Amino acid sequence: MSVPDFTLYATTAIILYIIGLYGIAVRRNMVRTIISLEIITASVNLNFLAFTKLNQDLLPLAQYFVAISIVIGAAVASLALMITIQAYRHYGSVDLKKLSRLRW
Amino acid sequence: MAESWIILQPIIILFTGALLTPLIEYLGRAIKFEKVRDTFAIIIFGLSLYSLLGIYGEVQRQGQLTYFLSPYEPQMGGVSFFVDQFSVFMALLFCLLGLFVSIYSVKYMEGDTGLDKYYSLLMALVAGLVGISFAGDLFNLFIFWEAMSLSSYALVAFRKYRWEPIEASFKYLVMSTIGSLTALYAMSILYGLTGTLNIARLAAIIPTLKIAPQVPYLIIVAIIAGFGVTASIVPFHFWLPDAHPAAPSGISAMLSGVVIKAGVYVIVRILFTIFNPIAFEFGTTLVLFGIITLSVANLMALLQRDIKRLLAFSSIVNIGYIIFGFGIGAYAINIYGAGGYSIATLAVMGAIFHIFNHAIGKGLLFLCAGCFIHEAGTRDLVDLEGAGKKMPWTGTSFSLGLLTLAGVPPLSGFWSKLFIILAGFTKLDNTFMVVTTSLVVLNAIFAAAYYLWLMQRLMLRTPKSRVEKAHEVPIMMVLPVVILGLITVIIGLWPFNIMDFAEVATRSLLGLTGG
Repeated sequence: MSVPDFTLYATTAIILYIIGLYGIAVRRNMVRTIISLEIITASVNLNFLAFTKLNQDLLPLAQYFVAISIVIGAAVASLALMITIQAYRHYGSVDLKKLSRLRW
Repeated sequence: MAESWIILQPIIILFTGALLTPLIEYLGRAIKFEKVRDTFAIIIFGLSLYSLLGIYGEVQRQGQLTYFLSPYEPQMGGVSFFVDQFSVFMALLFCLLGLFVSIYSVKYMEGDTGLDKYYSLLMALVAGLVGISFAGDLFNLFIFWEAMSLSSYALVAFRKYRWEPIEASFKYLVMSTIGSLTALYAMSILYGLTGTLNIARLAAIIPTLKIAPQVPYLIIVAIIAGFGVTASIVPFHFWLPDAHPAAPSGISAMLSGVVIKAGVYVIVRILFTIFNPIAFEFGTTLVLFGIITLSVANLMALLQRDIKRLLAFSSIVNIGYIIFGFGIGAYAINIYGAGGYSIATLAVMGAIFHIFNHAIGKGLLFLCAGCFIHEAGTRDLVDLEGAGKKMPWTGTSFSLGLLTLAGVPPLSGFWSKLFIILAGFTKLDNTFMVVTTSLVVLNAIFAAAYYLWLMQRLMLRTPKSRVEKAHEVPIMMVLPVVILGLITVIIGLWPFNIMDFAEVATRSLLGLTGG
């Protein structure tokens, strides 16, 4: 119901988003890349909820959006982990530098 | 409203088909007829195409259909579906190419295992695509978007025993997920500002909002960047030249033919419907993105030796034309106000028509490339020289596909490019439009040159040792290719029906109903 709460949540969301992008750009480990993707998902979910601090009427739909978004995030993560396992079988490593034949 | 539930029909049919395919596979093993799953897939695609035609008839009668599927009031949002001519146009295209690819896969994928999963994923992919084009609220659109994306990541990695699909799929997954999450971030801001994600409601609320003028532009940028990853607009295109060649050829045809169009569709639907181009200036951005996409991809395409990689870059080039067409439309409306609608109609109609032509043409080219690879066992252009001589049906269709994308007059690709370029040249005193359109013309000529060069290599040179023993592929593979080739010729000679359809879709998109 208050603006300071909103600012706190929204700023945290933006920071999380940047941390996620940074992790994907800098880290060269496939599992860390997937964790960074999950951090971005969390940041978007938090941003949905941040606005409910300004306006309580937004809460029901926002909860519904976030619940489904979490499920979708889990689906993406599991597929990404499946690909990571296959990559490990090919290269014996989850280092993206070793997967360099396609020039990242 | 009562009969509007037919909107859900194709989506339900396709998702049910996707769920049932493993069972059908089991049944097929029991009765010792493995092809039953292929037949089932073709029947499912046929059925959904039939139900889409029903929806098309309904849309022709009523103009627009809406359907709500949620306990929430329509005012708040909830799950809603919205269908107009543009949606039906896209959905028919998605389903048609799905049908051709499933026919093609009967023979092409014969040597692979786990085909029940292949067809399941293909159906889920098309279901997601149809859902994207029918979604009436942004979150619903996002769910279908992820259904589509997840199936396509899995399909790219389908031949998981090779290194290339695994790498390409991971790259595609990471980039595309960042993109869709960025778009979801924009949606969360939209929801926070307006309290709804229903597209029609947003269109009504956005102009009345009292917020800083930068905020809508932040959202527009996030939408273009987010969905632009899948649409492969140039700074976000790096996954495409890897993912499209790594997938099995049928899936390359789906990805290049329709999945990247879904990205364009979503960008255009959101920008034109929610952010009225009269009030918001995003045309220039789209035009510039179009030009950059065209130029960079054209140069990159020249450097390729891999036939599928070359075709993948050519897909990016064509996305450039489409984005440019929509951009000129938005720009003209923004600059000339109500007077710009005639230019915008021409440009957007050209862009929508080009979506159709490129989907058919690039689908055709990738399926033909699959035929060549099936026979010669290589993707290297040098080894494939002269393959067209050994495989006359495939070769002829391949040439037709190249000619239509090059924009040679009697074929369909000529008309759409003509409309886009004509729209750009209507106001000769506007330097921006004239200069950018001239760049497009230069690029079109440049592209035509290397299409013809590719055709000359494959069709006219003497066959090399790799293709010496090649002969025509089985009828089930040639049939979809030849039908697609015939479509380009027929549409080229008689473009009026599809042009009318594209024009009605344009009017619906620009909000010019009636008149």
